[in-house]
Amino acid sequence: MRDHKTMELFISRLMRASVSLSGVIIFIGLILFMVTGNNSGPVDVFELNWIMFGAPFLEPSHVIFLGFMVLVVTPLLRIVASVVVFFVSKDWTFTVITSMVLSVLVLSMILGVG
Amino acid sequence: MTPAFTMFALIIAIFSGFLGALLGLGGGVILVPLLVFLLDIPIHYAAGASIIAVVATSSAATSVYVKNEITNTKLGMFLELATTLGALSGASLMSVAGESVLQTLFGASLLYASITMWTQMRNTNKSWTSMPNDWLADKLDLGGDYWDETSGEQVSYGVHHSLPTFLISYIAGIVSGLLGIGGGGIKVPAMNVVSSIPMKVSVATSNFMIGVTASASALVYLRHGYCDFFITAPVVLGTLIGSFFGARSTRHMQGLFLKQLFVVVLIVLGLRMIVSGAGIL
Repeated sequence: MRDHKTMELFISRLMRASVSLSGVIIFIGLILFMVTGNNSGPVDVFELNWIMFGAPFLEPSHVIFLGFMVLVVTPLLRIVASVVVFFVSKDWTFTVITSMVLSVLVLSMILGVG
Repeated sequence: MTPAFTMFALIIAIFSGFLGALLGLGGGVILVPLLVFLLDIPIHYAAGASIIAVVATSSAATSVYVKNEITNTKLGMFLELATTLGALSGASLMSVAGESVLQTLFGASLLYASITMWTQMRNTNKSWTSMPNDWLADKLDLGGDYWDETSGEQVSYGVHHSLPTFLISYIAGIVSGLLGIGGGGIKVPAMNVVSSIPMKVSVATSNFMIGVTASASALVYLRHGYCDFFITAPVVLGTLIGSFFGARSTRHMQGLFLKQLFVVVLIVLGLRMIVSGAGIL
């Protein structure tokens, strides 16, 4: 039980780090936009690879998009982390419940994106 | 997109993020009308900004709450199973009733929830009634405890009527799938009144759940380009700031005051839903 709490605390620290990181990235993007006035909007920027490696990195819209992605992925990673925590704590019922939540989320994303 | 516009969007978002995190509502229901009426942003873009803002509220609030050990993760996961299933069936359901009918129904259920909460407060003069775990909650070990800052004691609670709350969460999921709104206005009363869970725990757990549901939709929104980045960026930043403060404040508030504030906000939201469903606004 004690271990479980320690792990939960660790997850919450990770979450806070990731949320703060996204805030910083979005802030930088917004400042870039205000300074350069460059608001060339993205048409389809979903390919993460392209954003990470190929994009002209200082284009404000790309920076902001990266910040959004970091933010939006945080809760999903949190669920993944929970599956691991329940598994390690040998709480099989909740390993199953949490995995089901994750599967339904992924399914609805696939359906929604498709 | 002037600096003044960005400032206003930021301020509005700080306000809605604060209230959303404080009350477990997610904040979208407060944010969207403010953006539409005060800044003349088309509802389409306001909704896109709001869905990302809801993720911001939830993640910012949850990282504060879990640290304070108020969030009940197990209860959240249990109910989240119902909500995600509901959202999935809601999104894939052909809307049998029209959207305006749904809005009116949703508004009416918010009003019903607020009246129930109010009556309970008047009768007991407390923000929650303590009950033991029911058989299912006992099997799943859903009850918990948390350190209550205002009363200065460790508060233990059980989860009563866990199945009805599970079903209500499913319906909340369907509604959010159909109307694109978070179900905090339904989940918090369900946990607090039906399942006899302390107000602070209900709020924290609702905040946790809302972000999980919203993140899936947010990815879809981003993918389809339903998001104006330069409207959404200040909104998300403001929401993050407001939510951190909102979540920190919950701890220091009396449960009863929190519940009274919740009821007032719920009445306003319910009335707005009904009016908007009737096509007046």
